[in-house]
Amino acid sequence: MIVQLLVTGIALGSMYGLVALGYHITWVTSRTMNFSQGHAVMAGAVVAFAFYVGLGWPLWAAVLATLVILAALGIGLERVAVRPFFRVASPAWLLSTIACGIIAENVAMLTFGKDARAFPSALTQKPILVGGAGFYAQELLIPVVGLFLMGGVQLFYHRTAYGKQLKAVAYNPEAAGLMGIHIPRAVMCAYGLSALLAGIAGVLLAPVLNVAATMGTIIGLKAFAVAIIGGLNSAPGIMVAGLGYGLVESFVAGYLSTGAREIIGFALVILVLVVRPWGLLGSRPARRV
Amino acid sequence: MTWVAWGCLAAAAGSLPLFTANTYYLYVATSVGLLTIVTSGLNVLVGFTGQMSLGHAGFYAIGAYAAAILTTRAGWSAWAAILVAILVAALVGAGVAGAALRVTGPYLAMVTIAFGIIVESLLVEWVSVTGGPGGIFNIPKPSLHAFYWVIMGGAAVSLWLVANLRRSAWGRAFLAVKGSDVAAESLGLSAYYVRIMAFTVSAGFAGAAGGLFTLLNGYVSPDSFTLQTSILFLLALLFGGEGRVAGPVAGSIALTLLPEFLTSLADFRLILYGSLLMCSIYWLPTGVIGALTRRGDSDSGRGGDRDSDRDRDSAGDGDSDRDSDRDRDGDRDNGGGVPLLQVEKASLAFGGVAALSEVTLTVPARGIQAVIGPNGAGKTTLLNALSGFYVPDSGGIRLREVPVAGRPPYAIARLGVARTFQTAQVFGDLSVTENVAVGVAGPRLGSVVAALVGAPWTRAAEARLRRRALALLAEAGLTEWAERPANALPAGLRRRLEIVRALARRPRLLLLDEPAAGLAPAEIAELDAYLARLRDTGGPAVVLVEHHMDLVMAVSDHITVLDYGRVIASGTPEVVRTNPAVIEAYLGASE
Repeated sequence: MIVQLLVTGIALGSMYGLVALGYHITWVTSRTMNFSQGHAVMAGAVVAFAFYVGLGWPLWAAVLATLVILAALGIGLERVAVRPFFRVASPAWLLSTIACGIIAENVAMLTFGKDARAFPSALTQKPILVGGAGFYAQELLIPVVGLFLMGGVQLFYHRTAYGKQLKAVAYNPEAAGLMGIHIPRAVMCAYGLSALLAGIAGVLLAPVLNVAATMGTIIGLKAFAVAIIGGLNSAPGIMVAGLGYGLVESFVAGYLSTGAREIIGFALVILVLVVRPWGLLGSRPARRV
Repeated sequence: MTWVAWGCLAAAAGSLPLFTANTYYLYVATSVGLLTIVTSGLNVLVGFTGQMSLGHAGFYAIGAYAAAILTTRAGWSAWAAILVAILVAALVGAGVAGAALRVTGPYLAMVTIAFGIIVESLLVEWVSVTGGPGGIFNIPKPSLHAFYWVIMGGAAVSLWLVANLRRSAWGRAFLAVKGSDVAAESLGLSAYYVRIMAFTVSAGFAGAAGGLFTLLNGYVSPDSFTLQTSILFLLALLFGGEGRVAGPVAGSIALTLLPEFLTSLADFRLILYGSLLMCSIYWLPTGVIGALTRRGDSDSGRGGDRDSDRDRDSAGDGDSDRDSDRDRDGDRDNGGGVPLLQVEKASLAFGGVAALSEVTLTVPARGIQAVIGPNGAGKTTLLNALSGFYVPDSGGIRLREVPVAGRPPYAIARLGVARTFQTAQVFGDLSVTENVAVGVAGPRLGSVVAALVGAPWTRAAEARLRRRALALLAEAGLTEWAERPANALPAGLRRRLEIVRALARRPRLLLLDEPAAGLAPAEIAELDAYLARLRDTGGPAVVLVEHHMDLVMAVSDHITVLDYGRVIASGTPEVVRTNPAVIEAYLGASE
């Protein structure tokens, strides 16, 4: 039982962390984010399903096409719903991204259908049995890919020239702009990358969770909770919070009930913010006077 | 014009039951009414105070279930149940706000979302109280016709309450915190407390609507209270026009009727909502009501001028002003012997860079003390430390012998410290008069309930506040701007308004952060005369941070020079002018 809960918790938690990293990436470059990040996860799953099952493409081609489309969607979202309101104090970007999300959900409902469908995968055919516990190979693949990608994103930001430029924008947009960094392009890339990560999470989760037009909201909210708990400006905080949230959820569902899962999970968010208002590893934004 | 519109609306609502016996129309109309009640309350939080909530369905649910439980299991009457529903929702709202409003932006959005989801999940899980997924049935249900009047009355009352609130000291405090929480705190308002009150009021409105919703339907179940519901509330408010009293009505009518007309497009419901939201963000940033009233702005401007003329006449014979003058003078004499402000070896570093090191400064109870120094010398940091926005790492700040370092800005402001900012921080959505009225009232906002119902004594207090504000504006030569929004002021006058507002509280100490920056020479001369008059007529002590040396030398009694966070010279203008260290700091070494 414990092994099974651990595997499930780490698998889900790494996905929450990966999706939450998407919030972090756009937040630090633009102080905005896609509030419908969860719908990007849904889009990843639905588009992959359409290519793989609907059109019968080979898996690698379906995944590749999905990721290209997701990155394009992220860039399009930035253009339509974020850029017009960039750095405006009003929460217009928050509502416009929510609007795009609910439109996307409706479009998925019309094209994909209202029912959840299973995503066939070789890795979810037969459960692996360890002691009394059973889990799918996919659940082992998920955290491996997830942690690998989180590490990759960190390397990109710390080691590559372009990553460092994006980081400079995060620290001080004015100065970065003066140093010749094209800020609108940096924000565009951040949105593309953010949606890409969500799309990968969607593809990875599809075989475990089933694909549904309505799957986005709750994943997005939990990832958002993870980003907030970890601290929006702290990538390591988000990874730790992601795994922690996944484990808490999995154990609460295992030992108490699935209903208690949401209550305890989100109560924990409020509790963390009361104790540490800017997240576990996040830092308070400097007050401008 | 406005009254005609309200009259038509009331006539339409009043005559609907006469023309149709079709319960469907009545039901749709009651839905509009309920949504109006919720969004009127949400308007106080979002429109007035500038905070966001994506969890108001939670308060709606609390009101709904409180009413359901009280009328079924406890057998209470509908009226008593509604009253308790309001109180419970407001109480929970205050608690949630206490946790939520310590954070802002996305963090705040998260807390409200989390609250909404917790409530929704509890409704499903806590079966013994809420009846679980099935909800609560068999709630005593009045006839639709009778209840139609109750809900329409409730909506009208909600609008009236919010209109009263907007005109009260609380309403101004909400908009002040939205416009500039920093400036609001410098006038003695705790932004946290003001926001909590806005949140509590809005939760109470949602609770009332929830209670009515339950009694209207005769049953209640968890499906009505999802995140989608919270988003719908917000959408209705934004579409109608946030911050305007009529906005919720327009938004509620549009958002309720549109899906009813388009029932054949039920599958496209989310696309419809999403597109509506996008359109209103793009093309109606101030909502339907905002777009409709924008055209009439020039007219109302002229009308406003007439009003202010009348008010100026009546301002001449206000006796109450003189009373408070006396109070202040008595107060000041008590503190005669001790220095007003003492800064002792205050140090403050930002990430290893010393912005202030061991700054010592004494400000007497009267006169103008200038603080000068090259850019980056720590002048503004010093002002921020004096007014509580920064806390020194070491050293002490004492105001009339009371240690104040570490106290929040609004607490220091309440001890009689007022300030202006390097970039003038006026409350843009408020009129010029209202800006000053925020300063006059300071933290004395009275009871929020009295403000909501427009109690007679709050109206009398309002009239006094307004007279005093107009008198101050007249002194400063701003009368012709009195009814214009502060946003409309040119930069030079914004600075002047900021000083008038700061002085409105009759502070003991006024901190001015580069008041002459960006002013034309003629305006600087006016400022010079203004400061001299302030000093000579027994005004507050002034700490003046300024770059214009002519101004500093002309008005200052004492000058302190900072360089790299240290005091390098201190004395009368003549002494400082010839001090070699000062000349070196400004012009570089002479060798």
